[in-house]
Amino acid sequence: MRALARDAVDAALHAGADYADARAVLRRSQRVATKNGNVDSVSDSETAGIGVRVLVGGCWGFACDPRLSDEGAAEAARRAADFARASAARTETRVSLGPAEPAAGEYRTTVERDPVAVPLEEKIELCLRAEAGLRAESVKVASAVVRAQREERALVTSEGVDVLQEVVECGGGIDALAVDEGVVQIRSYPSAHGGSSAQGGWEYVEGLDLPGNAPRVAEEAAALLRADPCPALETTLVIDHEQMALQVHESVGHPTELDRVQGTEASYAGTSFLHPDDVGRLRYGSERMNVSADPTTPGGLGTFDWDDEGIPAVRTPVVEAGTLTSFLESRETGRGGSMRADGWSRMPLVRMTNLHLEPGSGSLDDLLAEVDDGIYLATNKSWSIDDKRLNFQFGTQIAWEIKRGRLGRMLRDATYTGITPEFWGSLDAVAGREEWRMVGLTNCGKGQPGQHAHVSHGAAPARFRRVTVGPSG
Amino acid sequence: MRALDLAQAALLAARADEADALAQVERSGLARFAGSRVHQPTLVTNESVSIRLVRDGRVGTAATNRTDPDGLQALVDRAAAAADRSPADPGFPGLPARVKIPEVEGWDSDTAALPPSEQADRAWAAISAVNGFGAFGYFTSGKVETAVASTTGIAAAQSSTDADVLVIAASEDASGFAEATSWKAGELDSEAVACEAAEKAARTRGSGSIDPGTYRAVLEPYAIGELLWYFAFSSLGALAFLEGRSYLSGRLDEAIFDPAFSLFDDGLDPGGLPRAFDFEGVPKQRVTLVDAGIAKDVVWDRRTAGRAGRESTGHALPPSQQAFGPVPFNLSLEPGDATVDELVEGVEDGIYVTRLHYLGVVDPREGIITGMTRDGTFRIEGGRVTRPLGNLRFSTSFPKLAHDLVGLGHEPKLVNLNDYYDERHAFGALVPALATAAFTVVGVGSSPGF
Repeated sequence: MRALARDAVDAALHAGADYADARAVLRRSQRVATKNGNVDSVSDSETAGIGVRVLVGGCWGFACDPRLSDEGAAEAARRAADFARASAARTETRVSLGPAEPAAGEYRTTVERDPVAVPLEEKIELCLRAEAGLRAESVKVASAVVRAQREERALVTSEGVDVLQEVVECGGGIDALAVDEGVVQIRSYPSAHGGSSAQGGWEYVEGLDLPGNAPRVAEEAAALLRADPCPALETTLVIDHEQMALQVHESVGHPTELDRVQGTEASYAGTSFLHPDDVGRLRYGSERMNVSADPTTPGGLGTFDWDDEGIPAVRTPVVEAGTLTSFLESRETGRGGSMRADGWSRMPLVRMTNLHLEPGSGSLDDLLAEVDDGIYLATNKSWSIDDKRLNFQFGTQIAWEIKRGRLGRMLRDATYTGITPEFWGSLDAVAGREEWRMVGLTNCGKGQPGQHAHVSHGAAPARFRRVTVGPSG
Repeated sequence: MRALDLAQAALLAARADEADALAQVERSGLARFAGSRVHQPTLVTNESVSIRLVRDGRVGTAATNRTDPDGLQALVDRAAAAADRSPADPGFPGLPARVKIPEVEGWDSDTAALPPSEQADRAWAAISAVNGFGAFGYFTSGKVETAVASTTGIAAAQSSTDADVLVIAASEDASGFAEATSWKAGELDSEAVACEAAEKAARTRGSGSIDPGTYRAVLEPYAIGELLWYFAFSSLGALAFLEGRSYLSGRLDEAIFDPAFSLFDDGLDPGGLPRAFDFEGVPKQRVTLVDAGIAKDVVWDRRTAGRAGRESTGHALPPSQQAFGPVPFNLSLEPGDATVDELVEGVEDGIYVTRLHYLGVVDPREGIITGMTRDGTFRIEGGRVTRPLGNLRFSTSFPKLAHDLVGLGHEPKLVNLNDYYDERHAFGALVPALATAAFTVVGVGSSPGF
């Protein structure tokens, strides 16, 4: 695949490109899903191809071809150059790229047990066993899913990058949907919307202990049917690590993508409330807020040795003690390091890698103990945030009252809303390393045509003061 | 046709097994622009095949884009391995039988032949027309072949084209949106779309605020199309209906909406983005979802239809995505008889919404959807659009919105609903502007512009 990528870069330069990079990708994905004691789907897919990105006259062009062959590489290179040339004829703006060092080498995910090689019958059996534990009288739909993926990605650039990376990931989750008298409630584990994934071997899925968690998930789903709706009020919130992962993703990750700040994502995902000169000055949140982008985190879905422009992986603080310290970047926006493409048929974009809320100290119980009257929220149910990433509303699957430092009655249909810097400004505690967990998301959308990114977020439960909560209706 | 050849070649590789194969061949270009330059121009060439193989009631699916003989054989081997290792699927309704596929429009040879240079030119036409603003958006066109072949005799094939131009005209303190979509690129006027966006943007400067509350509102087709899509995805498919999480579960034949509200899914309508059959090769049917305010039906695929003793209406997703259940991809809301000015007049005191952003279904059972308005929100006072507003957070019940109807526009517009993830599958909704007495605003977000 590296040889093919080299040929594609050569072909692009021959076609008139001033700069070229090529990604040859081979991806194999498996998914097993069961529902109510039966297999819902068993699929095993592969996709392969080569994508070539070029600069001609300072303008980008990108084309791809599904053939991993000399013909496919040459055709993609020629078409990319032609498309760039068509744009260059009409624009005076010229792209310039930040510096990049030549690089060569290989990266492979460390796995104990290759998840793609785990027999399908074992995956099916795990799902059925996990899902059996979800059965309860009011649980109308019990479901389980596991996934495994291996992606080989060769990247060659005309500036001396020539690397091969093999990323292996897997994950799973369970859902219990309870229905009674028109009320519908759902509980999920370890995360909503398809479970959680990580880079690593099948040992990650086994470590989730889906069967062991199923009875609790079913019980909570059934109990939610009888719970009171969350009241509307301004109060202290303690938010679990999973919802915090999405909170970080939506209200810190996306707004700190510098392409959004510069407006190049305006027509789809949106822009940002941040400005390029906010680094070192903007108060993002309280002193307790520390967020870092870390593509070196073991097990992270955004872990690699080189990004899709060939920039080496480096941990970068994004917010330190509440102050914005850096953006996520490409070589076009500056120093680079956060460029990722979805497979072979899309251009790389500025993307989150692994973005973590750094731990504070103490346990969840310690956080709760300092709350006289508040609400504890867990597991995302719905999410929405405006195009500048300021005004957000999240719903969670479950909530509990906090009274005099202890969890009280269960609440359903809770939502909370806020304005990003005000919300983070109200952060007064993050639990410690022992409560810190990573959640791997596989559905981060961006770009036109659309691209999915797989990203991980580490977070511990966190406490916020004076937040508006209410029922979903 | 290449796609049908691929589907049939996959079936041949399956030899004695019962199977169906879905093939798609895509060639498309998208000239994306921002800050008035084309910055992400993408050309996609791909062909893919998925196969669903059945052995003694056990079902396995696999997909590939390696379409040489070795690739197709490997595809079949993986599907067979998946089937062999699965227990029997009691919910599998069997492969569909061959029936006549309707003839539909949706293919335009001029659109199919549009070269990348022309795609870039059409992007530039939009960029050049947003006088005084930055232009953000894209022009895209593509041709897609879709085919389904099965051992039960299905040999369905369709060639389709689609094109779309989207423009946000924006500056530091203003932004406006417009979009046009069609299966004929010749019907799209990039300059006109850009001018509409720029005109809208010019009116958003100096935006103000309003208090949270339930407002009367006029929603342009862009906004109502998005709301309708989120409601449809969560409530108008048979799987959600059967599982009790749809708003329509237990509510069929009830008068839920205003009598003027009638909703269909019609893949055969040449005014939309026509589809002859679904991803199982079942012919598309026009489905009446809401008739004069009364909830009538949802859309069905073979699996859900089998559970309910119904027939598929032709709304299956590809085998690998059927866990989502059937989906209405060709929504059509019956227009009324009002002009947009008359809708505004009828609202008298309220808000005017151009488009929405980042919707989320908060409570599918109650049809509650949240999101933000964007790129053109205005105050309506005295029956006239008066002044710009900042982007508003709403959290509103779609059924209540459609129940408390003030009026419907007389001009349906085809609204693109596709974000072009994965393989290209153009879809949209034919919707008019809508005026309602029940649009609930719960907060205020950022101002228009950057």
